[in-house]
Amino acid sequence: MKKLLSILLAAVLAMSLLVGCSGTGSNSSTEDTDEAQTTETEETSSSVVDQMLADVEAEMDSQLGEVPEKSAGEKVGILISSTSNEFWATMKTRYEEAAADADLDIEVYEASAEDDAEGQLDALNTMVSMDFDVIILSPINGTNLIPGIVAANEKDIKVINLGPGVDEAALEEAGGHLDAKITVNFEDQGKMVAEDIVERLDGEGQVAILEGLAGAAQSEGRVKGAEDVFAQNEGIEVVASQDCNWDTDTAYEATRDIMTANPDVKAIFACNDNLALAAVQALTELGNSDVLVYGVDYTSDAKAAIEDGTMMGSMTYSSAIYTKAAISMAMNLAQGGSYDEPLYLPLTLVTQDNVADMDGWK
Amino acid sequence: MTKYIEKNSQQLFLMIVIVIIGAFLTIKSEYFLTPSNLINIADSCGYRLIMAVGMTFIMASGVMDLSAGSTVSLAGVIIAWMLHAGAGIPLSVVAGLLTGVTAGALNGLLIHYTKISFFIITLAMSGMLRGISLIITGGRPITRFGAAFMTIGTGRLAGIQISVWIAVILTLAAAVILNCTKWGSYIKTLGSNPEALRKCGIGTAGYRISVQAVMGLAAAITAVIITARLNSAEPNAGMDMELDAITAVAMGGTPITGGKACISGTMLAVIILGIIRNGLTLMSISSDYQQWITGFLLLISVLVSGIRIKNTRQNTQEKENE
Repeated sequence: MKKLLSILLAAVLAMSLLVGCSGTGSNSSTEDTDEAQTTETEETSSSVVDQMLADVEAEMDSQLGEVPEKSAGEKVGILISSTSNEFWATMKTRYEEAAADADLDIEVYEASAEDDAEGQLDALNTMVSMDFDVIILSPINGTNLIPGIVAANEKDIKVINLGPGVDEAALEEAGGHLDAKITVNFEDQGKMVAEDIVERLDGEGQVAILEGLAGAAQSEGRVKGAEDVFAQNEGIEVVASQDCNWDTDTAYEATRDIMTANPDVKAIFACNDNLALAAVQALTELGNSDVLVYGVDYTSDAKAAIEDGTMMGSMTYSSAIYTKAAISMAMNLAQGGSYDEPLYLPLTLVTQDNVADMDGWK
Repeated sequence: MTKYIEKNSQQLFLMIVIVIIGAFLTIKSEYFLTPSNLINIADSCGYRLIMAVGMTFIMASGVMDLSAGSTVSLAGVIIAWMLHAGAGIPLSVVAGLLTGVTAGALNGLLIHYTKISFFIITLAMSGMLRGISLIITGGRPITRFGAAFMTIGTGRLAGIQISVWIAVILTLAAAVILNCTKWGSYIKTLGSNPEALRKCGIGTAGYRISVQAVMGLAAAITAVIITARLNSAEPNAGMDMELDAITAVAMGGTPITGGKACISGTMLAVIILGIIRNGLTLMSISSDYQQWITGFLLLISVLVSGIRIKNTRQNTQEKENE
């Protein structure tokens, strides 16, 4: 729909030119299309990665408890954000793989775009009118799916919340509930990075944080986790913590400003890899290659930067085990099981030290 | 009879489209023609219809409003803010509606007196209104207003959401206003031939400002429904909603150049778009296709209405020649 807008604008500009208005009408729609990066799926999985995945799975299994291995004919519907984001496109594939392994029938639904909150609710409402036993959902924001979850509760469809959280207080007020929850502990993401920074700096030095977006749970959690660790180490000083609105340009500018004001900064933790790569860009132009830069997500670009040595590390987790656990939970719920506490997916920090062993990670 | 078909060709075309898509989906999915799914479709169309009805008014007057979605956001934020400040539901809702009316009237004022293209005026307003929402909220959603307020969004009357009833009542009212009142006919003339109004000594400022205020009011009513439905006011709410509304109005047969208003067409178009959204989900087809299908239907409907306008013109010319 943004395209329609740019066409309308172009039309207006063209009209204004016809009327004889002087001015150059250059109107390029610079929509940031994240270059679709195919995630590495090299089949040459090394034994190190297999061991890592096995460890994660063992940890996950201990949280899951006893779950059915194979489907008993349940129907599971899955609602993700939008496959226009590489992350969710990968998750969709992983869901389908995990379901095939369990002989489970699933259908994956999505919104038309990552910010189409109302469209995602419409999709959920439609799913509720179909005969699903369990729905696994990942909301676009904390509240957009609430009426749909209430409707699912009324029809006795079990609801699992994977990843970004539903605002449970608002849900309760609306008369709804979640049957289970599986997510990533965002604070731990920040904590693990901060601990690695403290270790590599021997507990001494200035650090900076590039925040994602004020109010976004991932960003606030990561920042808090990192700040907690830094606060416990007296030798570490956080000289700047700047909100970047998940915007790479902002991160680039912020890095330049931070380095100008504090040339002694030794490490930067960015709340995702895109921000981290922008920081790397700024540092390279400043001729500074000593700062340790960390991100989150372990995107293919970040992987390349870690291999090149321009980034120190990135947080990741196994989407294969994430989806497998969600599928197991769904089957367990359908067969009468229950989960009182949220499950947390184990996290992994990739750094320059272990990146070479990460081929085959999924 | 032929005259009737000719006069309502757009509506007939849209009804045929509904029947075709409906029949296709009934064959393809066992869930389509079930009461709960049809109610779903109605629920999802309610607030979209309200926006589209507002847009029909101003498109009939020859203008579009690109700030309507941002108006939804700001009105929602104002309501949420008032509710949290303890102002009570009636006062908060009134404040939200006034926000919408003011934003609309301001659009009308600027369009009338600056003579700058409405595209630019409403685009600028769009940025400012959403900006205010972001400033007030700091980018965070305001949530939790209590069960009483939520009833406006999720409550049901005879099994159908209250918002749908509101939409139906407003649509009927709009049809009466546009077709049977002096104000309605002046609004249409404002689109097709504003000179004629001026020649008759009728000041256009009042009509321009009031019709834009109607759009603002429609956006604010939408905001009340969405905020109550989600139990939350998001600064990002209503993003691109004006474009959906413009699509529905154009598909419904109201010409982009104004001068005519086709409320029944707008309603049918909103229903078609709702059925397509629902159908794609039922068949679990990627919603990427929705954009293409919507664009295609829009093009075809505009062509149908274009042919009709041409025919009507020829007919009148022939009559004049006789």
